[in-house]
Amino acid sequence: MKLSGEFIKGLWRENPTFRIVLGLCPTLAVSTSVSNGLGMGIAATFVLVGSNIFISMIRNIVPEKVRIPCFIVTIATFVTIVELSMKAYAPVLSRSLGIYVPLIVVNCIVLGRAEAFSSKYPPFASIMDALGMGLGFTWALVLISAIREACGNGTILGFYICKYFDPPLFMILAPGALLTIGLLIGCINYFSLKGKR
Amino acid sequence: MKQLAKFGIILGSICLIATLVLAVTYEVTKPKIEAQRKAEEESALKMVMPEAESFVEKNIDGIDYFDALKGTSLIGYCIKITGNGYNGYIRMIVGIDRQGMIKGLEILEQAETPGLGSRITEVRPGEKEAYFLKQFKGKLAENLAIKKNIDAITGATITSKSVADAVKKTVTEFLSKVKK
Repeated sequence: MKLSGEFIKGLWRENPTFRIVLGLCPTLAVSTSVSNGLGMGIAATFVLVGSNIFISMIRNIVPEKVRIPCFIVTIATFVTIVELSMKAYAPVLSRSLGIYVPLIVVNCIVLGRAEAFSSKYPPFASIMDALGMGLGFTWALVLISAIREACGNGTILGFYICKYFDPPLFMILAPGALLTIGLLIGCINYFSLKGKR
Repeated sequence: MKQLAKFGIILGSICLIATLVLAVTYEVTKPKIEAQRKAEEESALKMVMPEAESFVEKNIDGIDYFDALKGTSLIGYCIKITGNGYNGYIRMIVGIDRQGMIKGLEILEQAETPGLGSRITEVRPGEKEAYFLKQFKGKLAENLAIKKNIDAITGATITSKSVADAVKKTVTEFLSKVKK
């Protein structure tokens, strides 16, 4: 088993957003601006790495029957650490992400990786897996939020890209999220299927 | 039975570790979070009452407010207001002089629709203040009315109205109590 392979698969082949299509709730909700997307991606990556390491270390002690509560406690702990530190050191980001930071607990990517990967493999491979998945989630979020922020608000990271363009508001509301994600997944599927034929 | 005890001990010890880690994190971040909240409030107070030199926190019948002092003389009040927005509460702080004329209005917390209601805090490029909040300056709180002397934000009439109504209601109530 190659460690670099565990890292790279999350970026593209098993990308959590575009390929496995997990964790769509935060993806739809916070991808209204690039800074939100980036912040959410980094927070989720931290939780993924932390919980993957810990779960991988305890994988031989935890009995099959109580594994889910053990995973949830671990994940919830890391999420609370992220939430408290974000409030203390990045209050602006914490306010704009709001309820979606504590909701990382129920982000299926995190529990999904615990169940599918770190409860079966050693810690180092689990770190690679978490980093790959986390970065895959982050770049997907940044791409979606860049498209939505540019089209819906006329800005990128808060800077006006064009003053004379009146942006269609729906792009930063719920329909814009569904359209952007749907079209992106569609494009990605089209090109990867075309390559196979 | 033996298995049950084993499960309990394992799950219990994981919970114990989690509790310890969280207790430490909480203690470390608590003063920082408090300081952030204080700093935020203080900068909002300075924004709504630039002439004041110091503020004294007070409470009258459930309304939290600050006496704004210049030297030792009272030049006005800063009142904390909570309004019902389109999407949850809007927390703001308003500065008024002793007659009830608005010196400034700042939003502390809001969860309005992005791009519509959230524009109450939007600053146009090249400007320093939020254009919606700027309209409140120099007006008597009791006269505030959307469409008459305050322009609502396009597509966000409910948010605009709830800000204006909450300021009007709380300030009027506050002044009647303070004058007693």
